Amino acid sequence: MKTLADLKKIREKAQEDMKLRGGNVRIKIVVGMGTSGIAMGAREVMKTFLEEIAARNLSDVLVTQTGEKGLSSMEPVVDLIEEGKQKVTYGNMNPDKVKKVVVEHIVNGRVVSDYVVATGD
Amino acid sequence: MQDISLHLLDIIENSVRAEARNIKVRVINNLQKNRLRIIVEDDGTGMDSFTLEKAQDPFYTSKEERVKKVGLGIPLFKQNAELVGGSFKMASEPGFGTVLTVDFVLDHIDRMPLGNLKDTLLGVIVGHPEVDFFINLIYRDKSQEQVFHFDTKAIREELGEIPLTYPDVIEYIDQSLFEGIQNTNMEDV
Repeated sequence: MKTLADLKKIREKAQEDMKLRGGNVRIKIVVGMGTSGIAMGAREVMKTFLEEIAARNLSDVLVTQTGEKGLSSMEPVVDLIEEGKQKVTYGNMNPDKVKKVVVEHIVNGRVVSDYVVATGD
Repeated sequence: MQDISLHLLDIIENSVRAEARNIKVRVINNLQKNRLRIIVEDDGTGMDSFTLEKAQDPFYTSKEERVKKVGLGIPLFKQNAELVGGSFKMASEPGFGTVLTVDFVLDHIDRMPLGNLKDTLLGVIVGHPEVDFFINLIYRDKSQEQVFHFDTKAIREELGEIPLTYPDVIEYIDQSLFEGIQNTNMEDV
């Protein structure tokens, strides 16, 4: 059974980790979670990002959910925002594409152009 | 939407867009009353009676007037509950928030399944670090009651500056929700 005491251990480990890398957020992932996004599978996209982050121990990546963004025909839609770089929007996402984006873009820094539907603001 | 958990996700996203900072979610699986009840309570901006009525109306889509800020999500959820003998009630007060109560007849043959409650809750909790979630899952039959409570405020107090998106924290929340859903018999409703 998970208890709050487990969190103490996590906190200690995380604090060490933050000391080493400075606690910065390198990449922010924003998953569109409006009604049409949800109907098209955005929750599974979100879940896959969370699983990959946990499995690969990507402690400098932040994932958030947001509402409709006017790209309904390309849902599920995901934005990747990196400091000092153009925002990249991926469309028609699914769990397999998420795994590829995590490996290629987030880990290795290469944009997966096949899935890109928009760039910039 | 194929199941209740996806509707629940949509409703919670509405609460977040309404600038809620505290969202209470209750799922009550009551075998005695043959009822599955979902309650979502937020402290967001709320709606006046006109907007509240329009939010539940699928045919009202006057985007020019920007009256209807929520899309088809609410009318669809309402329809999916009422078509199978359930009920859908939404109460709101501008400046105070909104409460939604949806009831389903548990053994109705055409009721949508509850679906993957865990992924809905995990996503909203981790995906909205600015919001505190208070989740109660309750199971009741004639011989017992099982209650699971999950509260991001308590977790944040333990974690201090460590964000909920920290990998080990994601796993912790995922595992806690998994256990809670099992203990309250909600994995296959």
